[in-house]
Amino acid sequence: MNCPGYAVLRVGDFSLRSLIRGDAALAGRPVAIIAGEGRLARLAEVSPEAAGAEVGLAAGLAMARRPDIILRTRDPAAEAEANRLLVAAAFTLSPRVELTAPGCCTVDLQGAAPERVRALMDRCLAELARAALPARIGAGATPLLADYAARRSGGVLIVDDAREFLRPLPLGFADPLPAHAAILADWGLATLGELTALPKAEVGLRLGAEGVALWERAAGETRRVLRLAEPARTFVAQWAYEPPVESIEPLFFRLRRFAERLALELRAAGFVAETLALSLSLEDGTEHRREFRLPEPGADVDSWLRVLQTHLESVRTPARVTGVRLGASPARPAQRQDGLFDTGLRDPAAFWENLARLSALVGEGRVGTPAPADTHEPDAFTLQRPPEAVPAVADPPVHGPRGLALRRFRPPRPARVLCSGDRPVGIESEVAAGAVCRARGPWRECGRWWEPGGWEAEIWHVELAAGGLYQLARGAEGWRVEGVLD
Amino acid sequence: MAYAELHARSAFSFLRGASLPEALAAEAARLGLAAIALCDRDGVYGAVRLYMAARQTGLRPLVGCELTMEDGSVLPVLVASRGGYQRLCALLTAANLRAAKGEGRVRWGELAEDTGGLIALTGDEEGPVRRAWRERGAGAAADAGRRLAALFGADRLYVELQRHLLPGEDAGNEFLVDWARAARIPILATGGAVQASPADSGVLDVFTCLRHRTTLDAAGRRLSRNRERHLKDGRAMAALFADLPEAVENAGRLAERLQFTLADFGYRFPDFSVPAGQTQESHLRAMTRLGAERRYGTVSGAVHRQLERELELISRLGFAGYFLIVWDLCEFARRKGILVQGRGSAANSAVCYSLGITAVDPIGAKLLFERFLSEGRTDWPDIDLDLPSAARREEVIQEVYRLYGREGAAMTANVITFKGRSTLREVGGVFGVPPDVIGRFSSLFHGGDFPQTLELREQLGMAGLGASHPRLPALLETCRRVHGLPRYLGQHSGGMVLSAGRLSQFVPLENARMPGRSVLQWDKSDCEDMGMVKIDLLGLGMMAVLQDCLEICGKRGRPVDLARLPKDDPAAFAMIREADTVGMFQIESRAQIATLPRMKPETFYDLVVEVAIIRPGPIHGDAVNPYLERRAGRQPVTYPDERSRPILERTLGIILFQEQVLSLAMVLGGFTAAEADEFRRAIGFTRSPERIERVKVKFAAALRRNGVGEAAAESILKSIASFALYGFPESHAISFALIAYASAWLKAHRAAEFYASLLNCQPMGFYSPATLVQDARRHGMKILPACVLHSDAACRVDGDEVIRLGLGSIRGIRAGAIRGLLAARAGRSFESLGDFLRRTEFSAAELRSLAGAGALNGLAGHRRAALWGVEAVQGGDELFRWAAAEDPGGPAPLAMMSPLERLQADYRHTALTTGPHPMRLLREKLPGLCPAGKLGEGRTGRRVSIGGAVITRQRPGTAKGVCFITLEDETGFANAIVWPALFEKARLVISMEPALVITGKLQNEEGVIHVIAERIEPLPAIGLPEQASHDFH
Repeated sequence: MNCPGYAVLRVGDFSLRSLIRGDAALAGRPVAIIAGEGRLARLAEVSPEAAGAEVGLAAGLAMARRPDIILRTRDPAAEAEANRLLVAAAFTLSPRVELTAPGCCTVDLQGAAPERVRALMDRCLAELARAALPARIGAGATPLLADYAARRSGGVLIVDDAREFLRPLPLGFADPLPAHAAILADWGLATLGELTALPKAEVGLRLGAEGVALWERAAGETRRVLRLAEPARTFVAQWAYEPPVESIEPLFFRLRRFAERLALELRAAGFVAETLALSLSLEDGTEHRREFRLPEPGADVDSWLRVLQTHLESVRTPARVTGVRLGASPARPAQRQDGLFDTGLRDPAAFWENLARLSALVGEGRVGTPAPADTHEPDAFTLQRPPEAVPAVADPPVHGPRGLALRRFRPPRPARVLCSGDRPVGIESEVAAGAVCRARGPWRECGRWWEPGGWEAEIWHVELAAGGLYQLARGAEGWRVEGVLD
Repeated sequence: MAYAELHARSAFSFLRGASLPEALAAEAARLGLAAIALCDRDGVYGAVRLYMAARQTGLRPLVGCELTMEDGSVLPVLVASRGGYQRLCALLTAANLRAAKGEGRVRWGELAEDTGGLIALTGDEEGPVRRAWRERGAGAAADAGRRLAALFGADRLYVELQRHLLPGEDAGNEFLVDWARAARIPILATGGAVQASPADSGVLDVFTCLRHRTTLDAAGRRLSRNRERHLKDGRAMAALFADLPEAVENAGRLAERLQFTLADFGYRFPDFSVPAGQTQESHLRAMTRLGAERRYGTVSGAVHRQLERELELISRLGFAGYFLIVWDLCEFARRKGILVQGRGSAANSAVCYSLGITAVDPIGAKLLFERFLSEGRTDWPDIDLDLPSAARREEVIQEVYRLYGREGAAMTANVITFKGRSTLREVGGVFGVPPDVIGRFSSLFHGGDFPQTLELREQLGMAGLGASHPRLPALLETCRRVHGLPRYLGQHSGGMVLSAGRLSQFVPLENARMPGRSVLQWDKSDCEDMGMVKIDLLGLGMMAVLQDCLEICGKRGRPVDLARLPKDDPAAFAMIREADTVGMFQIESRAQIATLPRMKPETFYDLVVEVAIIRPGPIHGDAVNPYLERRAGRQPVTYPDERSRPILERTLGIILFQEQVLSLAMVLGGFTAAEADEFRRAIGFTRSPERIERVKVKFAAALRRNGVGEAAAESILKSIASFALYGFPESHAISFALIAYASAWLKAHRAAEFYASLLNCQPMGFYSPATLVQDARRHGMKILPACVLHSDAACRVDGDEVIRLGLGSIRGIRAGAIRGLLAARAGRSFESLGDFLRRTEFSAAELRSLAGAGALNGLAGHRRAALWGVEAVQGGDELFRWAAAEDPGGPAPLAMMSPLERLQADYRHTALTTGPHPMRLLREKLPGLCPAGKLGEGRTGRRVSIGGAVITRQRPGTAKGVCFITLEDETGFANAIVWPALFEKARLVISMEPALVITGKLQNEEGVIHVIAERIEPLPAIGLPEQASHDFH
């Protein structure tokens, strides 16, 4: 038995598979991916459970035929995650791997021992199946033949007699241009064999150079050089939940998927994990973060999950989880070399490392440069990552700051306010108390009226008889002292 | 002095205001304001509605406008006099006509030419002064203020102050007050209101998002900071400006200075240019006399008396010029060979008939002239002209522009409002509702505004937005508030307004999206309310069919004169009685087809009733069944009051026509003709239920006074109330019945010509070309496919029963390329495919369409050979096209298409097939289905299954949620009735599936056949083409 030369590792209905792999609620349900919008939306990929709804069907019609069908658009994050898993799996076959297309890797097997190759292929597919990404492998003398075989295959298919193999394959395998596909359909051609039965020159006369290339692809005559991919160097996976999650199950489901991929990447690159870093983003803007030093460095998914599960079962977060991130550290990364035009930090690697340490101490979302958020909501801000380069100096504002500066109390302090009519005449709070001798206002602000978290505030500036200027606000939580004006 | 709000924007600022003018007027009146000035952005779009609403409340409706200037600043101006109003209209027209729609900007230089009669405010945050202050500081703001002062003078410029309780707003106001005092310009407080009440502020935020094409989550600081930009009363304004009381007082003073309201806008209808020595009246009399002699031959005493009576009234009311202008347009159409016929109440006039404006003899038909015109009436009569749709109608419209100039005539506007599905789609997008939910909602409820059986909340639930969604309450409330607000301004389908002098002095004009047309800023109702004269030039698809059909008949030596069609033709009426009416005007719809076998029309007047009775008015008023029962003799003919017998005799005691309402009002209510007409107009005024209720009470009292019994009065009122839902005037029904009869006669006696014309005038009518072709085949017509060797551009009649499809029926072929082919073929016929390719100029895609449709079969043998042949000259390179081989049509190595493939290609390229109906190919595989043509053999109650392509789906508003479906198979049509519960269960299957199998109980009574649906499933028709369907649901 000869070594086949090339193998292609392919996931059928890749977008759909990636989506299902990332969402426990979709497993075993009738699901389809739609492409296009509104009334133009059509099914692009359909799960076997959605019998009666086929690819190309209008979304509305699919809903008519299968009222229980779940229609989703492609999920780039899920696909990126699945792609990384696939590439890692491909590296277990050979160090010469190309990410040919989403859900498709081509592997150069030249020189490999045939018996060992077959065993590796089986193991690779089993590993992917365990990670809920069922794939197929085709192998042949050229990348093209291997690709055709992968599309045709149910598991592993190695092409020996190319001519016989090619003849009944659907024309779409040769990836005709859409315009050519329409012409060929008009001609009544459905298979590669039917196309190659036409004289190549006549096809070229009608469809031009691309038509000749198509004919050659249909005949399996095309060869090419692989664009090799690099093995993974960083081992991190993350996910944002929409809507946020409240229980451990979806969290653990996602972490299992992460662990499967990271472990495979580490193994493919010849590493093991020393530590795992878990962080959970919470709905209230805080973050739960924990680093685990593994008792023994390794890439065993189950032992990682035991560590993570033990921890998660003991954690009570103050708010729902909006995102999860898992990192595995194989070794200390090399220091970054400055670019020719980089400015600023003398040792960026040390800076970012220190920043990371700070983040670990105070929380991931609590380090950065505060900047006002784009909202009317008082005191709303975002934390921006420190800029890599010194920003240009902005023009001075047309109208400079006016009046006294407000030093905010964070959080604002609850207060009891005595009013005469609408006007405050006395306050009592932990930061200020006494009779109000002058009050200015009210000003009114509101926002986010379209959801339960909407806010509304009536704002006053008061001067206390005993001295001191304060900003008061009356909102849903009652009166609060927002800050002192000085 | 009472405060007046002098700077308010309504929803007619299109996404810059949240309330209708009527809501602003009502709230202003409630708050006790003296006046309100509507300053909509770049127009006076809402001015009439404010004016009409304010008239009910005593509020003074002032006119203003926010002008977008060339530098992007927004200058509010208020109108002080008629001259100022005319200047404002001229400025807006000039800005709008030189720019694309919605991009008009006023030039400072133009404004400087004349600001007389206009008073300017410095504006809000977008105004020239505050904008300059914000962006460039105090010096620039003072410069901007000085420029305004130079333009308007210190007595016609006010420094506008607004306070919205926003932190930091004092700084700008302090500058304005300081500058105003230094420049000796008065200050003025305004609310800058963009909503009637705080509750509408959410709508404004949604509109802001729509303008910026963003969502509420991403809009950030572009959203309102609070809800304060609403109307406030004088006390609230005085409290806000307690430190500047003169600012509030000045608002009241200025309002008193503004003397202009729309009551004084000065519109006048143009005079008709008459020969020397003639007056409008004498010329009209002369033309009428000539016309009467032509129409009647001998003018009898009765005719003469009626003409004199009408002419005398027309002259007294000053409408002679109007009749002459309409007559002149009809004459133009006739000179150009364009069919024209007046519709509506004009057909009640013998003058209109004599002038050739209408085709109905009102004296012969005993029509009531008062429906058209009466003593004491102040509004203009309404003459609508039906013309062939598309190009021929455009000729008449352009003639109006030629006669009166681009600024002397314009189309009336049509205000497109937020409604139905579009509201949810737009608002939902702003709320961040996932696109798949909106898509699903659109699929489920794509009928728009027709009464749904489900609440919006339930509809959204079905579309995937759960009841617990945190944004659902706000979304529902916002949709409710947005519903009915204007979205953008379109143009009315045919209403044109003319004026003496420049129309642009009376209302601003702007460019319509259609080149060569201008549109004014008011809609049809606004124009009517302001007494502006509108002439409707309506495009009617059937008029185009008749025109085309007459031309074909003439060319074939079988000419037809529509004016001399035989009366009550038996063959035509036999078809009508059998409901064999596909393609006929007005009587081809599913509802008509379901009524005709019961109605059994035998005479022309039966047709008039048939046209009028299947309308929302009579259906809603429960008039249909009683009429049919009385006609069949199963119910006695009774009258609500013996005095109504002469009025209702023709309609068997049932009120069907508006003229009958008028006569009843006069005879039973003792109304004068003018009062009766006012009564009729009021009950048709659907914008105001209160107004309808008021006149109903008045009429009921009049009936009682005149001794009409309680039960009879109630029955009359119920019937009359249904006219609020579009009852017909009898004259209009007669005009339409004339066209319907003409179409029936042509189908009966010139079938080939009629079908060819129907196909040539698509899209129009109720049925798709595919259905028309199948109907033609069932009537023995042979339909030949389009062919480059034989076809013309349009469909052609090749024999009394042979129609050749035109090359224009093939999709995606340019008319110019077809003209080139015809010219080449006229010189010498094509010898081969190579010869054809060399001498024509079709694109690659067009050649593929020709080949796919079988139009090249005569040169290539079969479609695949043609497809193979035409590609040979493409070669992927257009450059070498002309260097093609001598004969690219050599033997093709491709197999012929199968029958199913040919069918698919037919539908893909022509949307129809000249071959067998698609259902014939399936029939053997579906043995349980009863063909439509055999349903008549079954008895009521039998369970049957029908199947076929869905050609209509209807859920009319009058049917209380019932859905009607028509399926077409190779033998004809099968109708099904779906009750609401089943419809909701199978809504998606019904709405989305192109072909259905419906099982249920047969109902076969009086020749009307329905299946009462019990089960609805998709037809398993893999590979069959999808047919077009006529959907209203």
